[in-house]
Amino acid sequence: MNRIAIKVRTSLASKVIVSTVLLSLGVVWLTGSALYSQLSDGVKQVNLETSLAEARSSFFNAQYQFLLINGAQTSIISKAVQDVIIASTAVSLNQDRKSIFVSRFGIPAKSIGKTPSPDYSTATDGLDVSSFPTELRKRVRSSDLVEYQYAKVRYQNRADANVLIAGRRIAIPDSGNYEMYLVYSLNNQSKTLSLIQSSLLITGLALLFLIGLITWLVVRQVVRPVREAARIAQQFTQGDFSQRMKVESTDEIATLGNAFNDMALSLESQISRLENLSRVQQRFVSDVSHELRTPLTTLRMASEVIYSHRESFDPTISRSSELLVAQLDRFERLLEDLLEVSRFDAEVAVLEPVDFDLVNLIERCIQDVRANSHDHVISINIDHETEHVMIKADIRRVERIMRNLLSNALDHAEDKPVNVTIVSTESEVAIGVRDYGTGIEATALSRVFDRFWRADPSRARVRGGTGLGLSIALEDARLHNGELDAWGLPGEGAHFVLTLPKIAGEQIAGRPIRPQPFDYPQNV
Amino acid sequence: MTLVMVVDDDQDLAEMLGIVLTGAGIDVDLVSRGDEVLEVFRNNPPDLVLLDVMLPGLDGIEVCKLIRAESMVPIVMLSAKGDTHDVVRGLEAGADDYMVKPFRHPSELIARIRTRLRRTNADVSGLLTIGDLSIDVTAHEISRGAKKIALTRLEFDLLVALAKEPGRVFTRDALLGEVWGYRHSTDTRLVNVHVQRLRSKVEHDPERPEIVMTVRGVGYKAGVLGGS
Repeated sequence: MNRIAIKVRTSLASKVIVSTVLLSLGVVWLTGSALYSQLSDGVKQVNLETSLAEARSSFFNAQYQFLLINGAQTSIISKAVQDVIIASTAVSLNQDRKSIFVSRFGIPAKSIGKTPSPDYSTATDGLDVSSFPTELRKRVRSSDLVEYQYAKVRYQNRADANVLIAGRRIAIPDSGNYEMYLVYSLNNQSKTLSLIQSSLLITGLALLFLIGLITWLVVRQVVRPVREAARIAQQFTQGDFSQRMKVESTDEIATLGNAFNDMALSLESQISRLENLSRVQQRFVSDVSHELRTPLTTLRMASEVIYSHRESFDPTISRSSELLVAQLDRFERLLEDLLEVSRFDAEVAVLEPVDFDLVNLIERCIQDVRANSHDHVISINIDHETEHVMIKADIRRVERIMRNLLSNALDHAEDKPVNVTIVSTESEVAIGVRDYGTGIEATALSRVFDRFWRADPSRARVRGGTGLGLSIALEDARLHNGELDAWGLPGEGAHFVLTLPKIAGEQIAGRPIRPQPFDYPQNV
Repeated sequence: MTLVMVVDDDQDLAEMLGIVLTGAGIDVDLVSRGDEVLEVFRNNPPDLVLLDVMLPGLDGIEVCKLIRAESMVPIVMLSAKGDTHDVVRGLEAGADDYMVKPFRHPSELIARIRTRLRRTNADVSGLLTIGDLSIDVTAHEISRGAKKIALTRLEFDLLVALAKEPGRVFTRDALLGEVWGYRHSTDTRLVNVHVQRLRSKVEHDPERPEIVMTVRGVGYKAGVLGGS
């Protein structure tokens, strides 16, 4: 039952068929019952008229007979009464059975001689006269006309039956006044009516079935293309754009099919155009990289050769060679960062996870960054609970994140120390890089990971960062399914926290290190 | 004098490489087309080949395969692309080392070339064994029983590095320092590809190595005869 309900709710065809059949049921029911009531009224009317006509003729015949034998001998009268009873109850072949009931009422006729006047009261067919409606008998006694009534009467030897009773007052000579009733069985009539009823029922049911069938056929014609469209749309979702709807006619369904196919064609061409664009873009970036790198290599080598001989030049040329080397360094870093950003944008950045010791890597990064900070030496403290933290991640990317965070911290540390904290849990590892330098404005906090964004444009670029470092670091972290958070307050320094899953690609459950540092009042 | 063949289609870069290498006391043979390499190589065999990947005539990868088919000479690939895919393709074609343009310093290039030309295991001599292989370091020969196995110099050096300290587990970084002469590098692709190439030559079943064993999460060590 439940399954049917679901089917009806989810299938358009079932829905239409069920509602059509239900509505048709109502219509068929109404017309059927109207037809039945008209037919049955007609049948009853005809039956009544026939029966009453026959009853009148029977009564007339009886009256006529009795009139003829007025004053005759008792035996003749008795014989005449018998004849009348036989004649009245005689039935033709296709007629229903008939019974008769004769009953004397009122004052009997004066007796002649010694014998009392004979009573011809009788009932045929085992009629139980007590079941006769008294109201009808009252009317018959007081009326000169034929009276009739439908009633249910009892029989002594068979079941109760619905009958039509027609009665009239009749006088029998030398005996008195009688009520004479003809009882017509309605058996045939009810048979006819039930026949009509059942044929109407069967016709109705057949009609309903046919309506259902026709609806199904019609609906199928409409629904099949819709189902087809749905199937093809699903294939589209799965990336197969080659499917098309079959269009075999020129009706609305064909219009749907054509519109659908047009849409598919347009989608397909749009997507292939975009794919093509993205391919061209990637290709372009790759070509640019190649085309730029070769001259850059020559440039770098040439500048190094000049730089290595700077002692023999006069001071301006010597300084120029230094600047040349430094700017080429910067140019190269910028090129690398731009290429990396374009790889992220094209979604072709690939994670290459290996097992390695994170603590070891970070210590090496700190050494390198320290070695590169020529002009000022800032202390970097590392604080970790365990000696080794083994993780599975893309070592080049993690190294790049750490270098970016460390050089960013040194850039803004204002000669104050930088603290690095490592906290490892069951499923993730967190690295906090805390400086106590210029800090970050609250409004700027959301923008620190934006490309080429600088906290203070007028500030000197001490280390010549590319402006892409933090943005790339964030992308690198997210590629691992990790996260990079920033905290900062003006004058209070900044805190960058990298959280990585211990196995790259798995989810991180929480933040082992909160971005808001512990050394800063929590309620401010 | 050491002779290095520089194969690059960029005339200026080739000239610059020539200046730098000559300045370091290395003779240079310049070739600008991929399909000319083999002829020059046969006429005047160099001690090392510096090979660009993108070349007219014949692709650098193909050139690398052709040279490898007839010589064990050290090959250093120069590539403008640093993607793993490109690097691995070059190494699998038989390159010993690769450098992504632009190099940080010309000195870095020279250091790499010197490392490839030097006998890295000069301190070792005589016979070593690793698994069921015997290594004649002096004669530069590897054999399993009577059968000799041909290895490139780099593969030989890698195997000797492992064999001379049988109990030690080498991290990939340590191997990079020992065999390639890198100081600070996390480029483990180099080690992985070469270990695979070495295994395909010396192992009975490269899928289940017995000579160059993997120590999960750490690195590699030499296999012990009969043990696993």
